[in-house]
Amino acid sequence: MSDDADPRSAALGTEGLSKHFGGIVAVDEVDLAVESGELRAIIGPNGAGKTTLFNVVTHALAPTSGSVYLDGEDVTDVPQERRPHLGLARSFQSNELFAELSVLENVRVIAQTAADGTFSFSLLGDGRAVRADEARDILARVGLSEHAETEAKNLSHGDQRRLGIAMAIATEPSVLLLDEPTSGMGPGESRETVELVQSLQDDLGLTVLMIEHDMEIVLSVSDRITVLNRGSVLATGTPDEIQGDDDVQDAYLGGVREEL
Amino acid sequence: MSRDATAGVLERLGAVELGVWQVPLGLLAVAVLLRPVVSHDLMLGYPQVATSFLIWMIIVASFNLLMGYTGLISFGHAMFMGIGTYSVAIALSSFAVPFLVAAPLGILLSAGVAYLVGRLIAHKGEIYFAMLTLAFAKSAHFVANYNPGGLTGGTTGLADGTMPAWIETSRGFTYVALGGFRIDWYWAVAAVFVVGMLLLWQLVRSPFGRTLVAVRENEALARAMGVDVRRYKVWAFTFAAAFAALGGVLLEINNQGATLSELSIVTSGNIIIMAVLGGANYFFGPLAGVFVWMFVEEYLADFHTLVLPLTEVPLARIELAGVLVYWQFFLGLLFVVAVLVSPREGILGLLKTVLGRLSARIRGESE
Ligand SMILES: Nc1ncnc2c1ncn2[C@@H]1O[C@H](COP(=O)(O)OP(=O)(O)OP(=O)(O)O)[C@@H](O)[C@H]1O
Ligand SMILES: [Mg+2]
Repeated sequence: MSDDADPRSAALGTEGLSKHFGGIVAVDEVDLAVESGELRAIIGPNGAGKTTLFNVVTHALAPTSGSVYLDGEDVTDVPQERRPHLGLARSFQSNELFAELSVLENVRVIAQTAADGTFSFSLLGDGRAVRADEARDILARVGLSEHAETEAKNLSHGDQRRLGIAMAIATEPSVLLLDEPTSGMGPGESRETVELVQSLQDDLGLTVLMIEHDMEIVLSVSDRITVLNRGSVLATGTPDEIQGDDDVQDAYLGGVREEL
Repeated sequence: MSRDATAGVLERLGAVELGVWQVPLGLLAVAVLLRPVVSHDLMLGYPQVATSFLIWMIIVASFNLLMGYTGLISFGHAMFMGIGTYSVAIALSSFAVPFLVAAPLGILLSAGVAYLVGRLIAHKGEIYFAMLTLAFAKSAHFVANYNPGGLTGGTTGLADGTMPAWIETSRGFTYVALGGFRIDWYWAVAAVFVVGMLLLWQLVRSPFGRTLVAVRENEALARAMGVDVRRYKVWAFTFAAAFAALGGVLLEINNQGATLSELSIVTSGNIIIMAVLGGANYFFGPLAGVFVWMFVEEYLADFHTLVLPLTEVPLARIELAGVLVYWQFFLGLLFVVAVLVSPREGILGLLKTVLGRLSARIRGESE
């Protein structure tokens, strides 16, 4: 079982993508072909290489070997800061924020970057007014309007997770990589967050790759699931296929089938 | 005044976000009030140093564009100021180039050097960046000391022929004489101060400046969200150098030439200390830092000549003057305390907290 589609014609594709840290092979010859509009879950045990896969796909880390394709174009060597401008955005597993800036400013400065490009000599006018309306709209979408003027570091954990999504959305992506958007949330809040992701996906026409540990969520919302283990793809398929896969059962899912 | 009104005033005094008019008005107030305040009998009692205060405020504020707004800590900022000072001094003394031509060239040269150095080192990690700026500043000092082609005057610096013809001095005061006009040097500097600081403020509040702040807050996140962090840092470094050189060219006239101390590491260190002391988080922080540092320097260095009531008290007479002349030690101590308590807040941050508490107390709120 694997991705049948051609990575070079997918919304996001990888071919033989690998990342080595010295002797550790964190990502091992990964082939992905995520189709436009798909919600792809990436699952796997701790240390499987899920975050590292995101890091090499976004070029936060240079891959050791292999290629990355965005809408059919080879972007393997495109620097990290260019990628959001090509439609590839991500959120982080840890809460990455502009901690001492207001929630609004966190989103606004990224919306400004999306409009101005990787660098711009915009030396005139009041920066805080640029794209502020767009930023407010995004905050409203993720339910953070009432905290617009709060310093980001003072948000609750769950709100900081949502702010991470809001910032990624502010780049105006077509492909969105979410690294455990529900981590540290209770069941109810997790469910709400996943619904938020789904509604954003529908409204904005996004392709979403989501790393997620909660199997109940994964099985209910994904179009397809990719299982990583020790850096390589163990299986890719629909939720039904993955649940029926013996390799996956042995290596990872354990007792989940019985529970469901 | 009613309690609420008083509290309101205090709150506004301590407001974090200065509105559109507050900064320009604040700068004007500093320019207009500084000299009368400094020369008041209860303060220093003489006005001449006020001009130096203003010039150093520009220089330290230019440094804070790096430290406060971009999160870049340079240990060699004096180099970029010194390039301005030396450019003008060399142009006047060796090439008879008019000041008004030499000054912009000096500023451009400083910015150009900063751009090249920035391209080389701006992407390095914090410690390496700091070390490299130190190394560059040290080599600039070395070059000036080496006196290549007799241009820089070596250890003695440059004094002869370094003053433009339109600068006049009489009885300790300096004047700018243009045509039939004669204006006080202080007011010429004050005008440059206000314009220069307004430009710096616009830089900070512009979309460009807001991106710098994002870089300061979280460089990795900014990069992941599409910001070319390296280029922003290089240009912040370049602009900061240009403003430092603006202060540097003023210093050339103010100090009547150029001396090696303008390029020294000690001067770079003092710039950092003044910025931190005042409060790197605030646009007016460096101004407060310069004021306190230079005021204390002047005041305490003169302390032994002052006759204070204290000296009548037998206990206080013991060596008080002798101790206080080591003003740098006490300011150093204050600096250490500021860093330990809150490295980015400084005197202005402290003031803000105190005013906030005070206004809360007046309102009768419990804390
Ligand atoms: N920058 C790095 N340097 C060295 N080793 C790294 C680095 N980043 C990750 N690794 C290693 O690569 C492996 C994969 O780590 P990664 O963070 O990608 O796992 P993960 O699947 O995201 O795990 P988790 O579910 O805990 O988030 C681990 O063995 C990790 O220690
Ligand atoms: Mg991870």
